Amino acid sequence: MNSRERVLKVFKKEAVDRVPCFSGMGNITETGIKELGYKFAGIHLDAKQMAETAATTYKLFGYECGVVPVDLCVEAEAMGCVINVYPHAEGILYPTIKEKLIHNEAEMDTIKLPEGFSEKGRIPLMREAIGLLKADIGKDVVVGSYVLGPFTLAGQIMELNDLLKLSFKKADKVAKLLDLCADAIILTAKEYEKAGVDFITVREMGATSDVLSPRVFKSLILPPLQKVMKAISAYSVLHICGKTNEIVTSMMEAGPTAISVEQKNDVAESRKKLGPDAIIFGNMDAYNVLVSGSEDVVRQSVRKCIDDGVSGVWPGCDIWPTVPPQNMKAMVEETISYGGKK
Amino acid sequence: MADEARKKEILEKMRNGVIQYDEDACREGANEALEAGLDANEAIFDGLVSGMEEVGRLFEAQEYFVPEILMCADALYAGLDILKPHCKQMDLGVKGSVVIGTVEGDVHDIGKNLVKMMFDVAGFHVYDLGRDVPLDKFVDEQLKTDSELVCLSAMMTTSMVGMPTVIEKIKAKNPNCMIMIGGAPTSKDLADKWGADGYAEDASNALKEAIKMVAFLKKLRDEKAAKQ
Repeated sequence: MNSRERVLKVFKKEAVDRVPCFSGMGNITETGIKELGYKFAGIHLDAKQMAETAATTYKLFGYECGVVPVDLCVEAEAMGCVINVYPHAEGILYPTIKEKLIHNEAEMDTIKLPEGFSEKGRIPLMREAIGLLKADIGKDVVVGSYVLGPFTLAGQIMELNDLLKLSFKKADKVAKLLDLCADAIILTAKEYEKAGVDFITVREMGATSDVLSPRVFKSLILPPLQKVMKAISAYSVLHICGKTNEIVTSMMEAGPTAISVEQKNDVAESRKKLGPDAIIFGNMDAYNVLVSGSEDVVRQSVRKCIDDGVSGVWPGCDIWPTVPPQNMKAMVEETISYGGKK
Repeated sequence: MADEARKKEILEKMRNGVIQYDEDACREGANEALEAGLDANEAIFDGLVSGMEEVGRLFEAQEYFVPEILMCADALYAGLDILKPHCKQMDLGVKGSVVIGTVEGDVHDIGKNLVKMMFDVAGFHVYDLGRDVPLDKFVDEQLKTDSELVCLSAMMTTSMVGMPTVIEKIKAKNPNCMIMIGGAPTSKDLADKWGADGYAEDASNALKEAIKMVAFLKKLRDEKAAKQ
């Protein structure tokens, strides 16, 4: 079976020869960008550059996927926020929201999704990038996209500080906003599906147990997440950063095909809790291991993730572009040599 | 001097105001403290900061999470804003000025604001550069203000990598300046590797560290008072 078939089998819970090494989050590398002669700031605004850069991670290192977009601002921009791509930055700076949509509590009730949402911001650009990426490497590897979770998106369109406090003080108001965010996310995901993605990751990073109690997760975060997951027809993955052991069961209740966690999750524990059939990705430390660690540390980490029971070797966050090429290779190689042994 | 029972009552009001994130109670308590002739420093530390200590405990025990801490911090500030103009300069061996901000590429400032609170309480002069701060601005501001301390915050891995550049540039121009880093993706190892002098230990936005440092200030003050 090729890489694509392997990953699809994992999603279908069918037997595979080994775990795959891929991700549903950002995975472009500086090595790839340099090889193409592009600039990081430029690839966010050009479908061809974005797709070509995304494909290099497979072409250079055998990483078993292609994923666009590269930043976290697509939905917020389509909703009306202004983004900053830091065009003059020498190093790597991911786009951020320059102008929020909601400036005070009263505006939470007044916002609506713009007419023709699917054509706003860079959504058409993403459709094009997905199409190009599929045409380029889509027969060999899966092509994925990601959207934000409703709470994380709400944190993009209004002050996170206010959102967090209002989640406590005026939960009803926040729930209403999250429902609207869920609609925006669904519309975005539908466009990605139309463009042909194999799977979509929903990144609800802001709702980690480092920030919110498991109780608030259940009452406030879960309902709009369920709405989003239900509407996605492609395979879906729910990713949450930080501490998640207390909420992995709730994450599954949201209804994704698979869940993704980062290094703070005790995966062996999660595996026990969720049983042998659950699809769990992640746990690989994207910075302290992949970027800062030696090749040997990377290999050890891959083996530990597999031993602990991940269904795929998958970094717990975007691959940081300055990742040393030898570490990317070590991650893929170790997965191939060790990934069938468990 | 107010009588002890009244004093206790006022301090308790502020302490509970912080714990129960009741801004009005903190404001009322602060005004009552001034009316009753309480020492403003004492009101801050034995009232507001004492409440924040308990908040820190509730956070450790996972009874409180970030939204609660933010509300408690608002309550603390409500009292602090009233009391601070009446404070004598504290001599805790930690006076000075600090430049603080979130590094470019990161628009999250919750952790930074809570750490700032600690410096406000301690009587530092705070130059808050805000968020998404261009790296060179930290260097320029430190030189301009000659601050003893620079605090860099980042919530995302994607932005924290600007920190070593700032540290290197400041240290080259002013080796005596102390630099502290903090925020979810940072670690003691990274702080050491990048040449920072300090690190706000907690992964969730330097929250615990800020509260811990505030509590530490209170301890210093109490020890000093005990000696006198």
